[in-house]
Amino acid sequence: MSLRVGLVGAGNMAGVHADAWATTPDRIVAVFDPDRERASKLAAESGAVVADDFESLAGMVDVVDICAPTHTHASYIAAAADARVDIVCEKPLARTAAEARDAVAVCEAAGVRLLVGHVVRFFPEYAAARDAVVAGDIGSVGVVRLDRSTYLPAGASSWFSDRSKSGGVVLDLMIHDVDYARWVAGDVERVYARSAGGGDHVLATLSHTNGAISHIQASWAYPMGSFRAAFEIAGSDGLIQRHVAVPFEASVEASDDVSDVPQPPSSSTESPYITEIRHFSSVLHGSGEPRVTADDGARAVAICDGIAESLMTNRAVEVGP
Amino acid sequence: MTRVGIVGLAHVHAAAYAAILTDLDDVELVGVSEPRPELRNGWTSSDVFDDIDALIRARVDAVIVCTQTNEHLAAVRHLADAGVDVLCEKPLATTVDDAREIVEVCDRAGVKLMTAFPMRFSPPLIEGAQWIDERRAGSVLAFMGTNNGRIPTDHAAWFADPVAAGGGAVMDHVVHLVDIMAWWLGAEPIEVYADINKVFHPEVLVETGGVVTITFDDGVIGTIDCSWSRPDNYPVWGGLTIETLGTEGVFAIDAFAERLEMWSRGTSTWVDWGHDPNRSMIEHFIGAVRGDHSLAVTGVDGLRATEVALGTYRSAIAGQPVEV
Repeated sequence: MSLRVGLVGAGNMAGVHADAWATTPDRIVAVFDPDRERASKLAAESGAVVADDFESLAGMVDVVDICAPTHTHASYIAAAADARVDIVCEKPLARTAAEARDAVAVCEAAGVRLLVGHVVRFFPEYAAARDAVVAGDIGSVGVVRLDRSTYLPAGASSWFSDRSKSGGVVLDLMIHDVDYARWVAGDVERVYARSAGGGDHVLATLSHTNGAISHIQASWAYPMGSFRAAFEIAGSDGLIQRHVAVPFEASVEASDDVSDVPQPPSSSTESPYITEIRHFSSVLHGSGEPRVTADDGARAVAICDGIAESLMTNRAVEVGP
Repeated sequence: MTRVGIVGLAHVHAAAYAAILTDLDDVELVGVSEPRPELRNGWTSSDVFDDIDALIRARVDAVIVCTQTNEHLAAVRHLADAGVDVLCEKPLATTVDDAREIVEVCDRAGVKLMTAFPMRFSPPLIEGAQWIDERRAGSVLAFMGTNNGRIPTDHAAWFADPVAAGGGAVMDHVVHLVDIMAWWLGAEPIEVYADINKVFHPEVLVETGGVVTITFDDGVIGTIDCSWSRPDNYPVWGGLTIETLGTEGVFAIDAFAERLEMWSRGTSTWVDWGHDPNRSMIEHFIGAVRGDHSLAVTGVDGLRATEVALGTYRSAIAGQPVEV
């Protein structure tokens, strides 16, 4: 059986998802984007039709894949649940913790799947490290160091830099590592963060319920063209490091061929986005439980809300589940 | 000839300092004083006295204090009273009051007091200081620092003794990076937030993990991971790194990058081949004792770093940032 997929949004991430859906038994049948020209282009590439609005898209499909700007996620999720179609949603699940909680509740009530695109769980190096932790190779997790440092997304996707829409570097970038920290060290009860560079550079400390500590750097203030994603997990019986050479000079000139939206370095095997969408596809076909639950998506947003509050108040913020 | 002694053999650095003092021209290692027989036994690098006054009577111009941390103050008091210049191991003390008194007794006696911050003499970190002065990365926005290591109790159990060391990984490792950041910025730390834990080596009484966030009075922020998070089979004791983000760029420094990675007879280790900051630190101290130059690192620097380290505990207890 092939599921009919409707893409919501036709920007950078929708293109990545479209390529990934092409590797599944499922097919993209419709694309909706308020920018009809953009929708037409992606629809043509995918062999799909352009939907006039979200409601007509939802009427044509089994599952919607939301790749729209963050601040629009919650309303699309509610409308999809209303239409009783399953949902794949790019991270973050929603713009605020309250919206994210409502999104989970409305999907539960409607009996539809809500699969959140925390793609870092599908990066092979991050998954392998988590497997080693779960296998007990390093004992109890003590300190997790996570680093995601790049430049400010620009150009056509300028909604990223509108914090009211994207939630800024915390909700758009740091959330990857917030979710990963929960995945390897359990849930988080307290956060503290400080920012620099006009808020585009954030250093956060997460206190996990089990006593582990995560240190996360997320930055949109690094030199144009750079993207470093690195991690270290230290436990009572061992240490896991993902070494990444530091490719920075004291100053880096912006080059002309820099992507508008920073792309993390990927492995030489399949794209993690393909791994992710193939996994979501198989879950939607009834095979197994999702690697990322809707609650995981909501918790990550709630913790990011706490980090944003800490940045505003310079106080540690309780974010207990 | 400058006559130098070592007070205390509790600190792991005492042997390395003795070797440097023995090797330096125009310096005589007069001897060491150590009241504990179990530390004194086996010491063959110099004369050894069982109390500090005997060492002072043997006529020393200057002393390196390598006692356990909570005994620094008593030693420095003796030395200051005798007019002996002091290079004191870090952290300066286990309480802010003690650290302040160490600075004050030396001030009153008119003796020189240097804190043992060898990283001030690390070539890559000196280059980092120059880069900041030259604004190579623009204005500094933030630092991310790590000073991680194996638990040092194999060398000396008191490093994990809450009384003798005043704490664990925080007391051992926060002070170096605080001093580097303050030195580079020429700014003062004003606020500290920290979470600490005891996941690594839960058998000891002190914290073994910690992540600290510091705010400086010029608005720069910095984090320090001070954890004893290197496993027992890590190739070396640990290391120190600091990454600097500025308005115009970023640079990262591994202070111990000058090393070989070696696998030998079933073990792996790293072999340092570069500059020895301890030697430069001691040379600088001796030069100041001789009046060749003033001290680049003082007791006040040690006091400041100790205040931040101790603020770490206050913050961890409060669960909120605290002023320092």
